[in-house]
Amino acid sequence: MFVARSIAADHKDLIHDVSFDFHGRRMATCSSDQSVKVWDKSESGDWHCTASWKTHSGSVWRVTWAHPEFGQVLASCSFDRTAAVWEEIVGESNDKLRGQSHWVKRTTLVDSRTSVTDVKFAPKHMGLMLATCSADGIVRIYEAPDVMNLSQWSLQHEISCKLSCSCISWNPSSSRAHSPMIAVGSDDSSPNAMAKVQIFEYNENTRKYAKAETLMTVTDPVHDIAFAPNLGRSFHILAIATKDVRIFTLKPVRKELTSSGGPTKFEIHIVAQFDNHNSQVWRVSWNITGTVLASSGDDGCVRLWKANYMDNWKCTGILKGNGSPVNGTSQLGNSNPSLSSNTPNLQNSLHGSSAGRYFFPPLDSPRAGSRWSSCAQLLPPPAPLVEHSCDADSANLQYPHPRRGDRSRPLNPLPENEGV
Amino acid sequence: MEKMSRVTTALSGSALTGRTMHCHLDAPANAISVCRDAAQVVVAGRSIFKIYAIEEEQFVEKLNLRVGRKPSLNLSCADVVWHQMDENLLATAATNGVVVTWNLGRPSRNKQDQLFTEHKRTVNKVCFHPTEAHVLLSGSQDGFMKCFDLRRKDSVSTFSGQSESVRDVQFSIRDYFTFASTFENGNVQLWDIRRPDRCERMFTAHNGPVFCCDWHPEDRGWLATGGRDKMVKVWDMTTHRAKEMHCVQTIASVARVKWRPECRHHLATCSMMVDHNIYVWDVRRPFVPAAMFEEHRDVTTGIAWRHPHDPSFLLSGSKDSTLCQHLFRDASQPVERANPEGLCYGLFGDLAFAAKESLVAAESGRKPYMGDRRHPIFFKRKLDPAEPFSGLASSALSVFETESGGGSMSWFVDTAERYALAGRPLAELCDHNAKVARELGRNQVAQTWTMLRIIYCSPGLVSSANLNHSVGKGSSCGLPLMNSFNLKDMGPGLGSETRLDRSKGDTRSDTALLDSSATLITNEDNEETEGSDVPADYLLGDVEGEEDELYPLDTEHVHPEEPEYVLPQEAFPLRHEIVDTPSGPEHLQDKADSPHVSGNEADTASLAPVDSSSSLLSVSHALYDSRLPPDFFSVLVRDMLHFYAEQGDVQMAVSVLIVLGERVRKDIDEQTQEHWYTSYIDLLQRFCLWNVSNEVVKLSTSRAVSCLNQASTTLHVNCSHCKRPMSSRGWVCDRCHRCASMCAVCHHVVKGLFVWCQGCSHGGHLQHIMKWLEGSSHCPAGCGHLCEYS
Repeated sequence: MFVARSIAADHKDLIHDVSFDFHGRRMATCSSDQSVKVWDKSESGDWHCTASWKTHSGSVWRVTWAHPEFGQVLASCSFDRTAAVWEEIVGESNDKLRGQSHWVKRTTLVDSRTSVTDVKFAPKHMGLMLATCSADGIVRIYEAPDVMNLSQWSLQHEISCKLSCSCISWNPSSSRAHSPMIAVGSDDSSPNAMAKVQIFEYNENTRKYAKAETLMTVTDPVHDIAFAPNLGRSFHILAIATKDVRIFTLKPVRKELTSSGGPTKFEIHIVAQFDNHNSQVWRVSWNITGTVLASSGDDGCVRLWKANYMDNWKCTGILKGNGSPVNGTSQLGNSNPSLSSNTPNLQNSLHGSSAGRYFFPPLDSPRAGSRWSSCAQLLPPPAPLVEHSCDADSANLQYPHPRRGDRSRPLNPLPENEGV
Repeated sequence: MEKMSRVTTALSGSALTGRTMHCHLDAPANAISVCRDAAQVVVAGRSIFKIYAIEEEQFVEKLNLRVGRKPSLNLSCADVVWHQMDENLLATAATNGVVVTWNLGRPSRNKQDQLFTEHKRTVNKVCFHPTEAHVLLSGSQDGFMKCFDLRRKDSVSTFSGQSESVRDVQFSIRDYFTFASTFENGNVQLWDIRRPDRCERMFTAHNGPVFCCDWHPEDRGWLATGGRDKMVKVWDMTTHRAKEMHCVQTIASVARVKWRPECRHHLATCSMMVDHNIYVWDVRRPFVPAAMFEEHRDVTTGIAWRHPHDPSFLLSGSKDSTLCQHLFRDASQPVERANPEGLCYGLFGDLAFAAKESLVAAESGRKPYMGDRRHPIFFKRKLDPAEPFSGLASSALSVFETESGGGSMSWFVDTAERYALAGRPLAELCDHNAKVARELGRNQVAQTWTMLRIIYCSPGLVSSANLNHSVGKGSSCGLPLMNSFNLKDMGPGLGSETRLDRSKGDTRSDTALLDSSATLITNEDNEETEGSDVPADYLLGDVEGEEDELYPLDTEHVHPEEPEYVLPQEAFPLRHEIVDTPSGPEHLQDKADSPHVSGNEADTASLAPVDSSSSLLSVSHALYDSRLPPDFFSVLVRDMLHFYAEQGDVQMAVSVLIVLGERVRKDIDEQTQEHWYTSYIDLLQRFCLWNVSNEVVKLSTSRAVSCLNQASTTLHVNCSHCKRPMSSRGWVCDRCHRCASMCAVCHHVVKGLFVWCQGCSHGGHLQHIMKWLEGSSHCPAGCGHLCEYS
């Protein structure tokens, strides 16, 4: 069940990225207006802008938080061909009085000759590293050898992807069995149908990143890519935003079967593909346990996807997200962030009107023979909003239990059965 | 009159055609200028001065003006301009300060017409008067501007900017007598050509040099200026004070700026360094270029719209020695590629979503702006194909928050905080955790805990039960103390329950299963036929070794690791309850949702295949009743842990791993365990559950994990006697050789929480010190220090 809280972002142009920090209490937004804003969640749950500053001299495409172990650190990348690392300074009493915090630029990474389209910090266990990718098709990996010194970054690797890159994603797995891995998506729109997603893996022996896989089936421009958080899985899940939403699993083929030293081989399966957005899909984002995927497309909707026990992915919710009124109810979308959430009657009217933000999958007319038919069962039909839970167990017993029934995988039939 | 003719010419010309193309020059270009017929372009540079014809498919070299065996410095051009009224007239600015005019109508090879050698330094810019045929203006590095009448041999007037070098001069289109000049110190000056003594107006336009300016072709009062500060500013010069109308922030210093014909708000810019692209901006959307031309490989030095009334052809010259014609429709449009949405999943299941307002505002998403009264502007502009609306776009930002329950992660936090992982007997841990899970509505997890308890905690009991009684109790194996009680009531009850459950909950229970349970039930019926059939034999055979465990109540001597084994009191309520509820089905009903059930009853319930893995597990129970050692289940448990991990519930995997400890650890490879631990710890830390995280680290057996706690935690303590920092590890001061961690109140050595005053170095048990300081503000050690505790 979701409640929309619209926030008067007050960016002067499009917002290109939103990013929550490690603890989910801070949020950063970046925009074409060349600024980044940091929002802090108050005790009451409202988001307050505590910093807003000009970061670049071009559109800021992405903003991302570092692990808090390294301090309150942000990285941003921009059309102006640079990426920058920012750190929050505490103790400026003047600023604090005004409720504003102070962010200083620690470094500018100027190696790219074209627009830097994405920047991502590496998983914490790798140290303080970040990767950037740029429109000229080069992925650069930087490392701060001294985590206390955010102004020194050395360019460790340059990986050429041959295609204009639009997005990157680190494999978040902390397992020693998984070597560092980075997936790169390209939004190259040239007609030649080349694979738009490449996966590079770090090779301990050569100390270089080498291409491990290319997802040959993805030939349309890719706008976003995201590895699911890997909390103890042996395999990886990769979501891709292209003309549709796709979810791939990458199962490492056991090392002893592959020739040693070479890149890990993966068994790649596409487990889901949804064109429900009916348009370009711009963003994909995983929940913290890697069980629910959110995607947003040109239709202005956010859709939530979740797998059932059979590994069938289904839509579990649609959120229509706008901070502005759609049909006349003009008071709703105003800048008061608390308004929409604190007044129940407004919520109701919102829900009742055609401007309602929430729909159930059945509204998305099920196509004959598609997977939709069974989807309705997963959802409590009359319940007001989306049921999405990270824990399948919270589903009531009345509903078909996702894991009840014939799941043979975790619990193998024992040979002794027969004897009894 | 002349102005009229120009316009007529332009309009009478047929529509331009062409394509995006480029041609190679011999040398880098410094400037280009287009002939008024839009069919020729002149390229000038340090060592190039040529005229090209613009044809349909290509550029064709028409004339090389750089003649003579030893080209003089006069031919090293910094700027070139083609007269907009006289097709034969050109002017160049030379780097040596000479202004040259060229007459293409001259019959000889050398077209040079006049030479003005009045400037002392490089001439940066030359400019013809837009309507006056003979007036030429120049601006030079020496800080002077000169106005020439081409009918005379020298300058008519000289304007002194009184500031640094002149970078650009441009005649106003609106006022016959006015021209603007820009300076390296950031100033822009407006001059009346008749008054060389002082400028009409001066203002600081940029921070740093102003490299270029351009008058708007229609809005005659608008002047665009570009500077090294990477900005393009549009000034309204009609007001008394120059007013900044727009400001465009580009990514590099602006070398040239040219208004786009027919598009009121568009202008093209190119940069002086770093950036090789040409951008076309809509000044109303100052952050994102409307179009971008990326053909050049080096700095673009000159740009010119091909025809003053055609918005689609742009010509450019570059240091990479190419001349390009760009077609607007071939331009890349960063606006189109720019991501209009941002989406991020938060820690608590909340979603932050920012989307272009037009995307979310359009009701259906795919019927944009149809009859939408609220967007009259949108509508109007959509109709204008020449200038698709690109005014300020904005995004709506909203956070979808999960209401409590549902998708929020509160279950995780609650579970993490309430689970017991160690310090109690296994059975209690399992029961506790099952209870926690059930209270949080996580029935499957609760069942799993219960089953784990059955698997690992009751072998001895069951065996004894079986020794004392018939196989019938096999099905009630989860009731360890049953042997002491009335099993007559119980056996059938349980049996039927099991059966009922199976037939109900099992969607595809295989016949073998039913058979087995049926056997068991029949066994119950004739209770005394001990070991009469196959499973019973099996059971007995297995139990033989544990025959001494007749009375589980004193199993302390029996089983070596039996601290977990003290549960007798739980059995009593069970007995009564069962006696009170004779029939199976009722029993079944209250089982499912009774949080108050005792541990044992929960066990019983779990025998029924309530769980997901129902059919298979119930088989294993049947088997288990047949005395399988816990080892037998390790594969099962391992698979279960893997299952939980893959379902994103690493919490369960780690909790079970810790609770079961050695029992399962050996079955799961070290790396996987470590992976689970690190993932879980990471998750705990995200939720700021530091204590739980620390406990997990402490309880983990993986070396890589347990050393996490030892990293970078330094405690600085002063010795309470010599008051100097303790250098060595441990609690013995190496100076006075006494234990430093004595409680100042009770004089015992402190273990656990130790609080000390940084002022006097005395400290002690947290409780003691707190209590002491409630009554006194002085140090308990009697040193007289006023300690503060906050």
